[in-house]
Amino acid sequence: MQFSVADLLVLVPLLPLLGAVCTVLLGRRLGPRAHLPAVAGIGAAAVVALLLLLDTASQVGAGHGDPPRPEPFERISTLWQWATVGDARSGDLPAAEAGVPIAPGTAVSGGTFSIPIALRLDPLTATLLMVITGVGLLVAIYSIGYMHDDPGYPRFFALVAMFVFSMSMLVAASNFLLVYVFWEAVGACSYLLIGFWYTKPEAARAAKKAFLVNRVGDFGLAIAVFLLWMTYGTLNFHDTHLDDGTFVEGILGQTRIADEAGYVGGAVGTAICLLMLLAACGKSAQMPLHVWLPDAMEGPTPASALIHAATMVTAGIYLITRSAPLFMGCPGALTMVSIVGATTALVAALIATVQNDLKRVLAYSTISQLGYMFVALGTGTMLGFTAAIFHLVTHAFFKALLFLGAGSVMHAMGGVIDMRRFGGLRQVMPITAATFLIGACALAGVPPFAGFFSKDEVLASLHAKAHPDAHGSDHGEAGERPSGTGIDAGEVADRGVRPFRPASMTSRSSALASRATGALSTTDRASTTDRASTTDRASTTEKLGLDALDHPSTWRLLFWMSLLTAGLTAFYTFRAVFMTFTGPVRIPKEAGHHAHESPPAMTNPLLILAALSALSGLVLFVTNALSGFLAATPSLTAPAVARTAVPHVFHWDIAIQGTLAAAIGIAVAAIGHLGRRSDSPQMERYLGPLGALFANKFYCDQIYAALIVKPLEALAMVTAFFDRAIVDGTVDAIGQVPLAWGSAIRRMQSGLVQRYALAGVVGVLAIVLALAWQRL
Amino acid sequence: MNPFSPANHLILVILTPLVGALAAWLLGSRGVSAVRQSAAVTTLITLTGAVLLILRALPEVSAGHAFAVSEGPWLVDGPFDIRFALGLDGLSIWLFGLSALLSVTAVMVSWEAIKEKPVGFYALLLILESAMLGVFAARDVILFYVFFEFTLVPLFFLIGIWGHDDRRRAAVKFFIYTLAGSVLAFLGLLTIVLWSASHTGTLSFDIAKLSAGLAAHPLPMDARGGWLQWWVFLALFAGFAVKVPIVPFHTWLPLAHVEAPTGASVDLAGVLLKIGIYGFLRFSLPMLPEATAAAAPWILSLGVIGILYGALVALAQSDLKRLIAYSSVSHMGYCVMGIAALEPVAVEGATLQLINHGLSAAGLFALVGMIYERYHTRSIANLGGIAARAPWLAFMFLLFTFSSIGLPGLNGFVGEFMVLLGSFQRAWSGVAFEWRTSYLTMAVAAVVGVVLGAWYMLWAVERVFFGASRQPPGDHGHAPPSSADHGAGGDEAHSHGGYGAHDHGPAAAEPTDDLRWYEWAALTPLALFVVWIGLFPATFLAPSAAAVRTAMAPGAAAFAARMGHVPDGSPLPQTAQADAATTLPGTAIVPSDPPLTAGFERIP
Repeated sequence: MQFSVADLLVLVPLLPLLGAVCTVLLGRRLGPRAHLPAVAGIGAAAVVALLLLLDTASQVGAGHGDPPRPEPFERISTLWQWATVGDARSGDLPAAEAGVPIAPGTAVSGGTFSIPIALRLDPLTATLLMVITGVGLLVAIYSIGYMHDDPGYPRFFALVAMFVFSMSMLVAASNFLLVYVFWEAVGACSYLLIGFWYTKPEAARAAKKAFLVNRVGDFGLAIAVFLLWMTYGTLNFHDTHLDDGTFVEGILGQTRIADEAGYVGGAVGTAICLLMLLAACGKSAQMPLHVWLPDAMEGPTPASALIHAATMVTAGIYLITRSAPLFMGCPGALTMVSIVGATTALVAALIATVQNDLKRVLAYSTISQLGYMFVALGTGTMLGFTAAIFHLVTHAFFKALLFLGAGSVMHAMGGVIDMRRFGGLRQVMPITAATFLIGACALAGVPPFAGFFSKDEVLASLHAKAHPDAHGSDHGEAGERPSGTGIDAGEVADRGVRPFRPASMTSRSSALASRATGALSTTDRASTTDRASTTDRASTTEKLGLDALDHPSTWRLLFWMSLLTAGLTAFYTFRAVFMTFTGPVRIPKEAGHHAHESPPAMTNPLLILAALSALSGLVLFVTNALSGFLAATPSLTAPAVARTAVPHVFHWDIAIQGTLAAAIGIAVAAIGHLGRRSDSPQMERYLGPLGALFANKFYCDQIYAALIVKPLEALAMVTAFFDRAIVDGTVDAIGQVPLAWGSAIRRMQSGLVQRYALAGVVGVLAIVLALAWQRL
Repeated sequence: MNPFSPANHLILVILTPLVGALAAWLLGSRGVSAVRQSAAVTTLITLTGAVLLILRALPEVSAGHAFAVSEGPWLVDGPFDIRFALGLDGLSIWLFGLSALLSVTAVMVSWEAIKEKPVGFYALLLILESAMLGVFAARDVILFYVFFEFTLVPLFFLIGIWGHDDRRRAAVKFFIYTLAGSVLAFLGLLTIVLWSASHTGTLSFDIAKLSAGLAAHPLPMDARGGWLQWWVFLALFAGFAVKVPIVPFHTWLPLAHVEAPTGASVDLAGVLLKIGIYGFLRFSLPMLPEATAAAAPWILSLGVIGILYGALVALAQSDLKRLIAYSSVSHMGYCVMGIAALEPVAVEGATLQLINHGLSAAGLFALVGMIYERYHTRSIANLGGIAARAPWLAFMFLLFTFSSIGLPGLNGFVGEFMVLLGSFQRAWSGVAFEWRTSYLTMAVAAVVGVVLGAWYMLWAVERVFFGASRQPPGDHGHAPPSSADHGAGGDEAHSHGGYGAHDHGPAAAEPTDDLRWYEWAALTPLALFVVWIGLFPATFLAPSAAAVRTAMAPGAAAFAARMGHVPDGSPLPQTAQADAATTLPGTAIVPSDPPLTAGFERIP
């Protein structure tokens, strides 16, 4: 067997897992060196991830052509079968169960319910693996300093390594079921890390809240996975060849992706996409499921940086990007992604402007920036998808930097994180201050820091959608989505059928899919393979109501919301910088001897991340390495996406607008906070009632408590009462009936339990014996 | 005759606990420790025997055959034919093993808890074990019923004598309720026997023969035959539904659990509830397919109602043990739903879920018992911060909680996922058009139960294990550890995963309340299986697959005939079905072989 670098893929999750296991087994013996297995495991995984990234990049040949149209690239490695229920439907079931004729040309063996543990390597996965292991390594090194005197030291490193394992599996899995598995697994790691200091009631409550809110999202993902299974007859991403020679089209396999009619649209497709969006909202803390992330800041700061800023919360962006072909058939769902994203971005930014807890500012900023990524995804263009991932990468760098900087401040201030209680820290901790400033510039979109370029791309993708004419003329079809992916949405809506499969491509799964959707059919099945009837119907396309949202005016609104968000982002970021690092030096009494610059283990990761935050955007933009590379991800080679690719240009007009917004934001922050005591009166006093609204986070927690938690608890109480009084009461009442029957039975109610038992056994035996006697 | 023949092996395994009960009685004068040691040795020997037997049985059972079949004439005279027939097959093999495993747990959790009348306690526990092993091994209706009733008696005394304050009422209620149900079930089984006898000429009680006989001569399912199949089905349903328990026949369960000693709770939740579902699989599905098919939508609804109802009531509980009892009601709802979905994936998932729930519920009840022994309360309000004092206990509780709420990678996920997947499959492409919405609604509602399940369990974990350490009344007086302020917070390490607490850092309360050796012995095997099944479910699914499909095939076929797409709902002869499907184009054709089944591919 030929060795290729792609075979190393399994090492990326495996090495951190080994690190976690070793920490568990050796933690006590290693004592203060308990970080070694985890750091070594994650570090080695990062090296492997780098190799994989370079190898993939060399094979893809990123960025050739303009716009680049690379060949799809993927490598699959299957480890073992997780669950196999052989012949789930054949054999013992009578002919009645197999009643429906099977499309000709299809080989149906005994249906096997089988889930492979299969990993994939493609540009998207390689990029994210690099981010996960790279940021993971820096955070782990930082934690050596940050967590040094914590009694749970080994537990922390075991959990971080466990998280890196789960997260790399999530982005490397080539199967929707595995995605679901690790989707929950990262949630469990998050639960355990938020609740790391479990004796703090707030931490315990925040952990529970995070898990439950995520469970609501998981609910969506679970149903989406069930629907995918119903619709496509497989859960694999990739195409597979079975032992018996049959070919199964994966949901995101290259055969189906290349096929314009490969995806179900209409009501079913939209339902799948909206459920996935719900899942993404849970994990990526988008409205209305964003409420867990700010509370998650109760966890240790390095965990916040890694999980709740850089990696886990981007799982939703990953899921939607990966499922791009599915979304492309459902313009309404895609537009909803943008609407959710833009709304979340704006609302979170507004809340962030009045927070005084440094970590909460960053938490809301994370929600807001994730919203930015959602906006870009929802455009459904090549520029949008790559911009989202671009922003994901730069955001991972600068937000991890900001969180670790905040952790450094918190470490020095003896655990105090309220910005009003310290100030002027640039004199006490110069490295932290300088790196934090770089991170802030990147977040605020100050050119030429990283965030500037990625934010510019996000806004450009929106602008293209908002002004299809302007862009359409020079950029081909950008901004104009062909109706569906060649599926006639109206047809699909009323029949739920994927209308056409070329005969040459009949395969088991495609036949299965058409049969699955055929279940909804009220028309003759034969018409589904009739091209003429399909095209006839195409002229009478009826769009779903949701699809009407996909209109330039919507996109114009979203563009302006995003631009406003950019200004607000600059404001709250620099407000935090000014409050923390400028003005007279003030240090809270809790700081004690800690009030000095953090140790090198903490500052070195800060310096590395600062370099990345400063330069990565410029380098990636100028070389166009990332977007050209990502375009070779199979999901993004779908014709519907690929045809929206536009030449790589710098959008001067949008850059100027974005920079202006940032400049205004920074200027306002400077007027309010530069050089002042951070406990001086705040700017929100000018906001009036709006200030209270922002400070109370738009009352989301209260609304949920009133609308969901309290009613459910009341329902639980009522149900419990019903159970006790009515259900059990009835049983007891029935139990009393025999009492009324008279003294014979009353004597039996002697309370001697033995007698009841005896009576029961005797009774049964009597029946048996009576029968036996009768026959004898 | 080979003394180590499979048949003898099986009989030995079933009889060993009885011998052990005798030994415990004989050792009674030597005090508690001799008795409990003998009980522990007995259960370990039984477990070893059971494991060896299962290993021997796997090849045969995986191929769909029964193993270790023994038949001795018991009451045989003329046409009357009751046999002492034992054997294992795919339906029973894991439940048999689970009974042997949980019996060890039941003894170990009683190690320090039972000081009064230990002889009676351990003897009854061992008799119960024999009965549990026997009920799953029985291949004769009468033998099944005898073992079935025989499980009640020891449990009745275990609850009534060694239980908590309200033990009398709980024991009586448990006994009367279950007995009432099972007497009806017995009447139903007798009717089956008599009907079969009237067509075959021999009065056979053999389960396999009965199934075959009923397949040839089904009980009448129309007015002309007096709806006999319905009545028999309802009689069996009464017995099994009480046992599962299916809402609304569940109210004996929380009471019995709360009052029962921990050892009895472990057996009750872990094994005895499973007999109900086992009964459906063993009798209702293969023998009464048309009635099962007709009732399936309603049973499925009851399952879903149970999931939500149990979860909601659990959410309102203040007693930790009662909460877990209601969680049992909720989780058994998935088994009911899976059976009633009549889809291979769902039924296999439900069969696995029986084992999964057996492990996680037994583990949780064992842990609640351990908490009660330490703090003498089960009130959630009075407990708190246990993780600091007993980190390993907290770890185990969290593990079984995660298993219970279906976290992927642990066992609970596999069963629930398969049940839900099968239910969606049934809803999507296995029922007639007019039923689809109801079926989809129920499937989605069941997924809501997954969210609620996480809610009450994590709420309980938060209150009981996390937060500031409380000092429950009657505690042994630890100072609560100082609460944390920030990163370097001076708390007790949670010790989640193999390392102890204090290599350095501020001193905190010693975890003096942590697990003792016998508690480790009770929990470790369960925990290993929780992880094993989660990672390699195929190992456990494959051996039962053939038997499960054989058992459900008649029911599924009847369902397809009834609920699929035939307008008048009358049961069609099975062979006519394919024709019906092909000759009615244009109507809402439902491919009863949903496409979907085939979906997960085999990778070369």
